[in-house]
Amino acid sequence: MIAAILRAQLLSMRSFRLGSRRRGAIFSIITAFVWYGFWTFLAVVAEDFFSSPEAGDLIRRGFPTGLMFVFLYWQLAPIMSASLGASLDLKKLLIYPVPHRKLFVIEVLLRLTTCAEMLLLLAGSSVGLLRNPQYGGVRAAPRILIPVLVFVLFNLLLSAGLRNLLERLLMHKRLREILMLVLVMAAALPQLLVATHKPGQGLRRLFSEAPGGFWPWTALARIALGQETFFSGLILLWWTVAAFAFGRWQFGRSLRFDAQATGSPAASANGRSRSRIEVFYRLPSLFLPDPLAAIVEKELRSLTRTPRFRMVFIMGFSFGLIVWLPIMLGGGRSGSVVANHYLTIVSVYALTLLGQVSYLNTFGFDRSAAQVYFSMPVPVARALAGKNIAAALFILVEMLAVTVASQVLRVRLAGGAIAEAFSVTAIVGVYLLAIGNLSSVHFPRAMNPERVSQGGSASRMQALIFVFYPVALLPVFLAFWAQYVFGSQLIFWLILAFAAILGVVVYWIAMESAVKAAHERREKLLMELSRSEGPVATE
Amino acid sequence: MADPVPAIQLENLRKLYGGKAAVDGLSLTVPRGSFFGFLGPNGAGKSTTIRMLTGLIPPSSGSIQLLGMPMPQQEIEIKKRIGLVPDESLLFDRLTGMEFLEFVGRMYGLARPVAQERAGELLELFQLTEPRKLIAEYSKGMRKRVAMAASLIHRPELFLMDEPFEGVDAVGARLMKDILLDQVRHGATIFLTSHVLEVVERLCDSVAIINEGKIVREGPMQELRAGSETLEDVFVRVVGAERAFERLDWL
Repeated sequence: MIAAILRAQLLSMRSFRLGSRRRGAIFSIITAFVWYGFWTFLAVVAEDFFSSPEAGDLIRRGFPTGLMFVFLYWQLAPIMSASLGASLDLKKLLIYPVPHRKLFVIEVLLRLTTCAEMLLLLAGSSVGLLRNPQYGGVRAAPRILIPVLVFVLFNLLLSAGLRNLLERLLMHKRLREILMLVLVMAAALPQLLVATHKPGQGLRRLFSEAPGGFWPWTALARIALGQETFFSGLILLWWTVAAFAFGRWQFGRSLRFDAQATGSPAASANGRSRSRIEVFYRLPSLFLPDPLAAIVEKELRSLTRTPRFRMVFIMGFSFGLIVWLPIMLGGGRSGSVVANHYLTIVSVYALTLLGQVSYLNTFGFDRSAAQVYFSMPVPVARALAGKNIAAALFILVEMLAVTVASQVLRVRLAGGAIAEAFSVTAIVGVYLLAIGNLSSVHFPRAMNPERVSQGGSASRMQALIFVFYPVALLPVFLAFWAQYVFGSQLIFWLILAFAAILGVVVYWIAMESAVKAAHERREKLLMELSRSEGPVATE
Repeated sequence: MADPVPAIQLENLRKLYGGKAAVDGLSLTVPRGSFFGFLGPNGAGKSTTIRMLTGLIPPSSGSIQLLGMPMPQQEIEIKKRIGLVPDESLLFDRLTGMEFLEFVGRMYGLARPVAQERAGELLELFQLTEPRKLIAEYSKGMRKRVAMAASLIHRPELFLMDEPFEGVDAVGARLMKDILLDQVRHGATIFLTSHVLEVVERLCDSVAIINEGKIVREGPMQELRAGSETLEDVFVRVVGAERAFERLDWL
């Protein structure tokens, strides 16, 4: 049965006759090669470090912290990137007589889609330890490798449970946004405490050097380094069994979950708040002619009611604000780059995060309804421009939220920080919108607005990080570089002004190209947007 | 006297997918003011033809003239004058029915107050009076009703409809049929595909049957049903259907 499900998934992912998917696949392979190449390099560095007999003291102190990082990355990176990885589409599978434990095995294995980087790091570290005679060499293989595999299993089970819990909770209309904020706080709390706590070391010790190795990562470190085996082994096993129980419990609840009963899609709101939001929706009509205003208004209405978009929107300012805050507070005393440009960094982070659910795949949530833009008497350029204006409005609201939240948190902002943040974000935004228009017509992908985890695929994120974002950030990076080299604000603003003019030109050219491609590829584009997925909901 | 310029004129229309013809040399003339049924078994090329007529997909070869204008050369002008009910959903799930109809009206160039007024009236007509209900929460039949209402909002001259009655209850279907007949009486042309042959038989004045991308029978309804044959009998005969299930002993 497992084989049948995986085969159905493979067949669903075939890219025959779909040029965009083939191109997308090639693009994904290239970016995955660069991304995993980077992590392989880190794994080789880890291997070299752990195999060095001279690094004994550093290994003893640093290994638990490193493993804690692996744990945190494994569990939090999917949330932070708003990409929870592939998962079973239970609605499609529940009608068949498949034992639930088999479905659970697949669900756990699918968690590998969000953590291959950590497997590389763990592999590099393990090989390094095996080559280090201080820790018993190759003869110690069972003592090192078995607990590492148990640690991997623990992480897989826990992330499966967390994913199911999150996905379910995020479908509850009222709970969703609050939960996201609580998660953000919880994720940032240890970092915040460590950064703001004066002695610092005490808390750090609590998480990475707990007496007796209470945490799974400290237990694993103690076993792998030959410090203690029996009790640490029991602790590691206890955590793994607990993670299994949690994962299985959450999976079972997801199987019985009725998304409809949560009333998630309803546009219910009381009269006063409805009329307030109505004013926001109708704002474009004051400045723009139809049909442009109608398109912008439709985008504002649709996106604000899309669970996936709302989640990412909230993450944009909350996660950005709080995750970068400890770094700023830690570096604030020494005047670090983060401290000096905190608002700009948070705003650009929010801008890039919004890309997944708005401008980079602008027809994604419309799915087959994107036909409207090709069957109505409106040029495609107008549709793209309308969608861009809506995205820009959301970016503006996001930035205002970031600025207000910074003021509420009493973050010390350097003089001109707000002007800098707004200017830089606007300029980067223009480049990203230009790139987004091209990617929307060349790599379109249907997105289910109800699935809060969908849209930020790993390969897409890698592509963004390695290809798109450096291109979009280059002009403003040059401005910052000139500012530091020449120590002149004037040069900084002059280069920014030039970057803005260039951005408008780039946007114009990209728009022309996107419109041409939309006409030439409209059939493939609509086919791709109408495509349904296989038994596994990929990202 | 009927308008001499036909509503639809197709000349040797072809659409190839990987060398295989989904529509193969289709030539067809649909006069203005007619209620035209475009029939065929599943996969015969009906939806592909409608998608080519609406400009959603380009033909591999051949020519399309709608309301006397060539497609895609006068694409925008043509689109302003056609109403579309496609097989796939054209609806934006995150809008309410009212918001969607208003959006469609404005896309067709109606002023906002006019679009709002017509949207309200159409929703009432189609008995979709829950103003705060999102389209995502609509049943299949309700979605078809909204799609139908959207195709009417700008008073088009030509309707292109792919399975418009699918999933609609008897009351809704009756309402839709009455509206369509009224539109034809007022000079509009309707080009419709449907698998419900009884409906086609009752509504359409002319029919074309397509099979494997080619027109296999075409003409006025009365000519097609010579003698006591029903449209279903004619259809089954010309598309070559047989009682294939009888070959499966185990069934």
